[in-house]
Amino acid sequence: MKRAHAGLAAGLLPVLLAAPPLQRMLEASMTAQMLVQIPLLAIAGMLLGKSLPESAANRIQPWNRGGATGLIVVTFASACWMLPLSLDAAVVSPAADLAKFLTIPLLIGLPLASSWPRMSFVLRGVLLFEALATLFRMGWLYLISPVRLCNSYGLSDQQRLGEWLLMAGTALLLCIAWQLLWGSPKAAAGAAGPPGLRAGRPA
Amino acid sequence: MSALYPQTEALSSRERAVLNLYAISALAVFLLLMLFGLAMRAAQGRWINISPQVFYQLMTAHGAGMVGTVGLASSAIMWFFLRKYVRLSTAMFVANYLLFLLGAVLILAAVFIGGFGGAWTFLYPLPVHTMGIWSINAAAVFMLGYLVIGVGFLLFYLDAMLAVMRVYGNLGRALGWQWLFGGTIDKSHPTTVVASTMVIIVNTLGILGGAVVLVMCLVNAYVPRFPLDALLVKNLIYFFGHVFVNCSIYMAVIGVYELLPRYSGRPWGVSRPFLWAWAASTVMVLIVYPHHLMMDYVMPHWMLVTGQIISYTSGLPVFLVTAYGALTNVYRSGMRWRMPAMLIVLSMFGWAAGIVPAIVDGTIAVNVVMHNTMWVPGHFHFYLLLGVLPMVLAFLYHVAGGSSRSLETAGDRLSLAVYLIAGLAFVGMFLAGGRASEPRRYAVHFAEWLPYDRAASIAAALVIAAMLLFAIRISGALLKAGSGEKGSGEVPAHLPG
Amino acid sequence: MRFLRTSLASVVAAAAGIAALAVATYGFTAFTTETARRVAVSRHPVPVPAVVLENQAGARFSLSALRGKWVIVDFVYTRCQDQCAVLDANFARLETMLARPIAANRLRLLSISFDPGRDTPTALAAYLARFGGRSPGWQIARPVDAADLVRLERVFGITVIADDDGGYTHNSAILVVDPRARLIEILGWRDPERAAREILGKLEG
Repeated sequence: MKRAHAGLAAGLLPVLLAAPPLQRMLEASMTAQMLVQIPLLAIAGMLLGKSLPESAANRIQPWNRGGATGLIVVTFASACWMLPLSLDAAVVSPAADLAKFLTIPLLIGLPLASSWPRMSFVLRGVLLFEALATLFRMGWLYLISPVRLCNSYGLSDQQRLGEWLLMAGTALLLCIAWQLLWGSPKAAAGAAGPPGLRAGRPA
Repeated sequence: MSALYPQTEALSSRERAVLNLYAISALAVFLLLMLFGLAMRAAQGRWINISPQVFYQLMTAHGAGMVGTVGLASSAIMWFFLRKYVRLSTAMFVANYLLFLLGAVLILAAVFIGGFGGAWTFLYPLPVHTMGIWSINAAAVFMLGYLVIGVGFLLFYLDAMLAVMRVYGNLGRALGWQWLFGGTIDKSHPTTVVASTMVIIVNTLGILGGAVVLVMCLVNAYVPRFPLDALLVKNLIYFFGHVFVNCSIYMAVIGVYELLPRYSGRPWGVSRPFLWAWAASTVMVLIVYPHHLMMDYVMPHWMLVTGQIISYTSGLPVFLVTAYGALTNVYRSGMRWRMPAMLIVLSMFGWAAGIVPAIVDGTIAVNVVMHNTMWVPGHFHFYLLLGVLPMVLAFLYHVAGGSSRSLETAGDRLSLAVYLIAGLAFVGMFLAGGRASEPRRYAVHFAEWLPYDRAASIAAALVIAAMLLFAIRISGALLKAGSGEKGSGEVPAHLPG
Repeated sequence: MRFLRTSLASVVAAAAGIAALAVATYGFTAFTTETARRVAVSRHPVPVPAVVLENQAGARFSLSALRGKWVIVDFVYTRCQDQCAVLDANFARLETMLARPIAANRLRLLSISFDPGRDTPTALAAYLARFGGRSPGWQIARPVDAADLVRLERVFGITVIADDDGGYTHNSAILVVDPRARLIEILGWRDPERAAREILGKLEG
């Protein structure tokens, strides 16, 4: 994707998601908020990262060797948005919703896009492993919780989200396994391991 | 360079130091945990008196420690041989060691300070139903220790995965899957790479299962309102535990593939059956674990039947290609009968013979009667004490011995004989006790069972004596080889004698 | 020092992350809205607005009229088939356990309906009778103005969502309002004995 296109998409996606009918629809269900809205916001941040000129990325580079700082920012920002009380707050309070529309692209998507290409294979592996484990753990937790964890959502929604999280984890696991077992030898030999965001960028 | 010690295996002084750390720590921990084992058998035989609480603390430490330490020692075998073919990072190998150490400290603290005695399997809900014997925190620290150890192994496997993919493109090609259905097999494709790749895949998945179930147990420990399904937890624990223990065998087998041909003088390369065996085991080791749950009648029937069938076939492919390969490799080969070679042959016997009681226990009809008896520790001690541990010892004897033959004395051979005979007696007492309905845990022993316990105690003491000699001889030689090299930089470790 | 700046940035990021999590979770004590608002209210009491309610007898009164008394509040709707029934069975037990301060005119129980459209005074009276509630110790009322309902829900932290069966899914609690008309404590609704103990403790304190 060209840089300008990425920038355009990065700008349009949050605006589209913030459009009242779509926003209301996606926030009406816990599943949609967690598995559609939040990931799309993160993708907007990633596109924003792609649209920035190389010079900007190079300027932060000394502060983000190996993508370490970015990984930490992403980890904590994701942890904050995994709290049930944050999901609730985003539904009830416009301020929290605004925070969501700003922090998920800027503190999850953007640092992920700029740090992933710098991360070593092992660090990427740990990140993906932890992401998988988190999907399975949260899915399990939502399925077994006898109480509603969000005041804004019903129990059946919560359990449906649990099922979807388990399915998402399984799908991600299968994708990674496929890539590792049969993936293009060239991509792996290039030291990067599973092709990630670097794909499509001129080497 | 001699045929026994190729130049490609030479260790830099830094690598030697790390390997020494692995080897000597593992030997020391093995000895300590064997003493715990002796204490348990002697207590069951009423020769010594320890409280039930202390008994289960010892049992927990013995189980968790042995499984972990066998894994640690065999990961050193994998590292040692795999680094010839791919570029492994010493830093990740060190990280694995350090995280293991941290995890071991946490586990020992949970057991001996916190009083945790919920067995190495930490089956829910026992760890959180403490009955005041230990605290929730102790159970949590124990599980945290496992998590830390898992992270260490994960780092090691990820590094190895990258290294393998850099050379072979992807894991499928490293496993030789492109030759499963045809094509000309590259005979120089290393057996070590096949076995290592299988372990990398399988154990990463095992650790993933562990990482999920451990964190869920931790959440439940502090937020009991999330009630876990005990059966699901048990499934995941045995998935992860079974895979981890099996991977220890598969990592240690690498030493057999590498060393036996050198002592026999015959090459041992890959073949289509070999590749098929490892491919089959890659899948089967992941789905065989239900054979640990045959007493859980609430398990879906099909899973138990699968468990029984796969438990017959799972270990078999790799075992058959290895044991058959070893036999043909040794047969009329003019074998150089040095300690490593003898230990390898012992390990093949231990692995083969251990399969018999395992298959007996893996049969549902038998399992429902035998599973809570000493038969079960009998079968896994057979594998571990007479199969995997001799593989580890063979590797260490090989590395420590060098070409100087200083580790080839009559004392070493005598210890090996004692180890074999006492080991067989020790394992035999478990199996005989199991046949006599002796319960494996959480029970007071009848007077009729005491002879088994006492004979086992004597055998255990003899095994420990032999192991002590092995440990002293190996550690001494390793340290000597290390100090002799000081200041000489990158001098190869093994100079021809 | 190739990694100096990265280490520095990582430490700052981790510290900021931990701080953010700590703030969001009230010092790692609350992960759900329900727990969070309990912690928040016990730290910072919330003034209760003086909205006008209509009770089961059709009488209108302002919440400010209850100033000077302790008021124990819950939120229900009368068609509720499950949660409210348990909640108000527990309220009925509270009425017995707190009989003395009620008799001394120091405390009132007040159930507020969040379904004022359907919960007419007749429905409210029938509902109260079902649980054996006796006015004036325990009354049930609905907000007169729809805007007041929103204010009440916000102050008391009640979230009501429509469920699949034409009813509502909602969170429940035993809400303690002090004589200065401030919400000072949110108690679990499943354990009336404990709630009574805590309330009596506050009355004496």
